[in-house]
Amino acid sequence: MEIEISLVPEIITEIAGFPITNTFFMTVIVSMLIIVGSYILSRRISTVPRGFQNIVEIILESLLGLVDSVTGNRAQSKKFFPIVATIFIFVILSNWVGLLPGMGTVGVEQVHHGENVLVSFVRSPSADLNLTIALALVSVIAAQYFGIRAVGFKGYLGKFFVSPFKKPYGIGTFVGVLEIISEFAKVVSFSFRLFGNVFAGEVLLIVMLSLVHYIVPVPFLLLEVFVGFIQALVFSMLALVFFKMATEAHH
Amino acid sequence: MGELALSLGINGKLFIAQLINFAIVLFVLYRFAYKPVLRMLEDRTQRIEKGIADAEASQKKLTEMTEKEKDVLSEAKKQAKQIIMAAEDQALKNRDEIIANAKEESTRLLQQAQKNMEDQKMQMINEVKKDLGTIVLMAVEKVIGEKVDHVKDAKMINDAINEN
Repeated sequence: MEIEISLVPEIITEIAGFPITNTFFMTVIVSMLIIVGSYILSRRISTVPRGFQNIVEIILESLLGLVDSVTGNRAQSKKFFPIVATIFIFVILSNWVGLLPGMGTVGVEQVHHGENVLVSFVRSPSADLNLTIALALVSVIAAQYFGIRAVGFKGYLGKFFVSPFKKPYGIGTFVGVLEIISEFAKVVSFSFRLFGNVFAGEVLLIVMLSLVHYIVPVPFLLLEVFVGFIQALVFSMLALVFFKMATEAHH
Repeated sequence: MGELALSLGINGKLFIAQLINFAIVLFVLYRFAYKPVLRMLEDRTQRIEKGIADAEASQKKLTEMTEKEKDVLSEAKKQAKQIIMAAEDQALKNRDEIIANAKEESTRLLQQAQKNMEDQKMQMINEVKKDLGTIVLMAVEKVIGEKVDHVKDAKMINDAINEN
């Protein structure tokens, strides 16, 4: 069987002109998982934790601890926590869901360029730039929001637009322009870092699987589990750090 | 730019869908996971803190009570000792008094008895003296009234005595 590695997520089907790609399909599955999990959790939450609640509590508590360690301020942590934790949970599940068996094997047959190609259902949502850019945009826009909330609209704009007649004469203006560029660069670096890592992992696994079918891909699979965790952590931590930086008044 | 987006698989519809999807997940997680779990974590922290504080307070109270108890006990012991000593003193004093009283009473009684005896003796002597006179008188009458011989005399005397 020919291996087809596509940078672009493959379209499984189309519903009313809306393309359903395999990554979007997996995104919906991940979302459902989270929603159902949250619902179950909220129904049987109790002061004495048991089973599932324990696991969720450990995860959320350590995430809150992490946020605290960056902000150093519980009130601010509580503002940042929902979005940071959601990014972490969503990204880590997206990364891991692509490692499920069926990757590159279970799917629909399609004709691409006159050839029969198997389009897999299973592809990590993070291996789709639509998702990663969306998440990156959410993070960067949230950072602007937190910044404006913390130091005021004028104060926040003062970070980017500095009069060239102020003390360091022009240097401040230049730095301001750099700040603007860096805000856009953040979107690109956020999205392409996650996309690149997860996509590369998928490619690696597909290649290993097609070269040696048994045992050998296992270490790579474990490596990808680790990479999935690290990338989720990196994404959420960077978002957190940017939030924190945005809320700090410039000097 | 459009071509680049196409070759990277960026699609406006999918992009918006992903944004909305993320927003939904964020909302659901916030509403059903973060809020209740964080509130509960806080609750639990407070409860545990309160529990520890309570335990410390009760421990402190306990030591205080023990101390107090000790104080009270020693105080009670001291008082008991004092009471016993006082009672002993009182008892000794009472004993002496009673003995003295008894002695006095007994001497008084003795004296009274002696006096009584003396009185009786005197009375008896007086009575005897009076009786003796009569007896003598009678004896003399008998002696004078009858012829006296030795035998009669003796008999008479005996009779007189026996009569008495």
